[in-house]
Amino acid sequence: MAYPYTHEKEVRILSKHFGEPEARTLDGWKARGGYRTLNRAFEMGRDKVIEEVKASGLRGRGGAGFPAGVKWSFMPKEKTRPHYLLCNADESEPGTFKDRELLRWTPHQLIEGMIIAAYAIQAEQAYVYCRGEFFETTQILARAVEEAYEAGYLGQDILGSGFNLDITVHCGGGAYICGEETALMNSLEGRRGTPRVKPPFPAQAGYMGMPSTVNNVETLSSVPFIIAEGAEAYRKNGTQESPGTKLFCVSGHVRKPGNYELPLGFPLMELINDVCGGLKEGRTLKGVIPGGSSVPILNAEECADCELSFEGVIKAGSQLGCASVIVMDDSTDIVKEVRRMVGFYAHESCGQCTPCREGSAWTEKILRRIEDGRGTEEDLDTLVEVTSQMEGTTICVLSDSVAAPVKSSIRKFRGEYLARIRTGEKVGAA
Amino acid sequence: MSEARKIPFNNPGWAGNTGEFSLTEAEVRGDEYVGRRPPAGGHPSGASSYPYMLAEKDPDAPLFEGAYRERFDKLRTRYPDARSALLPTLAMAQELRGYVSPGTMDEVAALLDLSPAYVRGVATFYTMYNKRPVGRFLIQVCTNISCSLCGGDDVLRAFLNNTGTELGETSEDGLFTVVEAECLAACGFPTTVQINSRYYENVTPKDVPEILERLKAQGE
Repeated sequence: MAYPYTHEKEVRILSKHFGEPEARTLDGWKARGGYRTLNRAFEMGRDKVIEEVKASGLRGRGGAGFPAGVKWSFMPKEKTRPHYLLCNADESEPGTFKDRELLRWTPHQLIEGMIIAAYAIQAEQAYVYCRGEFFETTQILARAVEEAYEAGYLGQDILGSGFNLDITVHCGGGAYICGEETALMNSLEGRRGTPRVKPPFPAQAGYMGMPSTVNNVETLSSVPFIIAEGAEAYRKNGTQESPGTKLFCVSGHVRKPGNYELPLGFPLMELINDVCGGLKEGRTLKGVIPGGSSVPILNAEECADCELSFEGVIKAGSQLGCASVIVMDDSTDIVKEVRRMVGFYAHESCGQCTPCREGSAWTEKILRRIEDGRGTEEDLDTLVEVTSQMEGTTICVLSDSVAAPVKSSIRKFRGEYLARIRTGEKVGAA
Repeated sequence: MSEARKIPFNNPGWAGNTGEFSLTEAEVRGDEYVGRRPPAGGHPSGASSYPYMLAEKDPDAPLFEGAYRERFDKLRTRYPDARSALLPTLAMAQELRGYVSPGTMDEVAALLDLSPAYVRGVATFYTMYNKRPVGRFLIQVCTNISCSLCGGDDVLRAFLNNTGTELGETSEDGLFTVVEAECLAACGFPTTVQINSRYYENVTPKDVPEILERLKAQGE
């Protein structure tokens, strides 16, 4: 049973063994068919593994949705220097809590996926960059890695294939920005977690300047199924452009929040009203943030026909991100919540680009003023202007993440801002 | 040594209490895994994953001797150069001493052959390295969007009121430091609170006195 709720509409591939403590152990995982895909991958050979993952259409689950197989194919074919596989487990986008579940319920699924991925890109060193706060979770993962070594799935000459792989569990220091792939690499080199200018892309010059691939926990955990069952089986779920299933992290004002694994393209309102048990008694929907706090807010109208695929959410006016669905009912004080999200980005800005460093702090200050009833109507224009200058002007997209909630909320909930400015009155917040 | 194992009680508002879920809290948390690694770090692959926030903090503890030296040597083998081992090394220093003082940073710098200024620059970038001493229990309350929607601010206020502290201050008895945390990645179980190494889920203001009482009992 998934934790803490489950639903009959779920299609559980990744989360099939959530809630089964034995699945955390090597024996338990093998009893569930684990590690059988390794020999298959070694027989297929690197190119075919990459082709299969490409054919599956698996898109990166860390937010950007870049096709995983294509990313792997950017790695040099001729290996002349060390290659690295980096698993991004620095889960910290507000609203996202899926990787923690994958790490603590099915650590061997991730390790199996990492072995296949590392084999495909010829990496003999791999790191799992876990967010530092996951003390408990990383203990489970570290034990699983240890067991995989003991069983010969890691180390030298894995299953007689001649392929060597070392996995190291690495803990971050508490910085949201390290979830950005180039910041992650800097952090893993023992530097401040500041994003790098691209190009060069990680596949050319990544960790320690060597060819590297960064994949999210959920992406890598999806790989064993694709190798075991084939790309076509994987494509049975989801849409043409967004194949497969996805863990949807639902939080906020629903009766049954949690992680639900559903085919991509699942209708948003069905997720809220059916799978998550709907809103609390007597409440109506105000808005939804469909992909974590850095994507635009959808109002209730836009939610009505929204399908939860990468393309479907764009059509509705936002982005799927990591499918972190934050549901807000009519009690929500939009001004306060937007201020809180912007405060987060102001805190987490690494400070290297001026528009982000100055803009995020400035934006928070104005929002705080409005929230306290000391704002002016001109402040709204200033907010739009400042955040517009934060879009596309910086090394990474943290800056754009400030603009998304601010601009979308001013456009869609202007009345709430104006009420706060004119009368100091909170709309919602009951 | 292992603090997680010393906590005998459940989280009062634990997310598993939904009536639809049959596992115990210990099973969900994987209590049998937590705190099982030997101080020397076990297998090198996990040597840098070990650091805890321990209740027992000794700001004068010798760094990197005995088992800790062994663990450092192991984790050092997992990185291509000394610089890359900086974060886990800082974490280990904090595990022993409770925070990383400028003096501790200098010691880490010497150990890794980095300049003290460089180590300070890196250590101050990351929020998890406490730059000053914290209480026996570091209480981090998430007030980011998902928790905020479900009353995170009230939980934070309850912790501050019940410990009689201001944000970031340590209570007079040295037991509690309450801080506001950014998203802890357990958004479906609001409000999420991290106390030392452990996550508490679905915490409401009325749970707070009980949690504090239990921590106090354990802190004696």
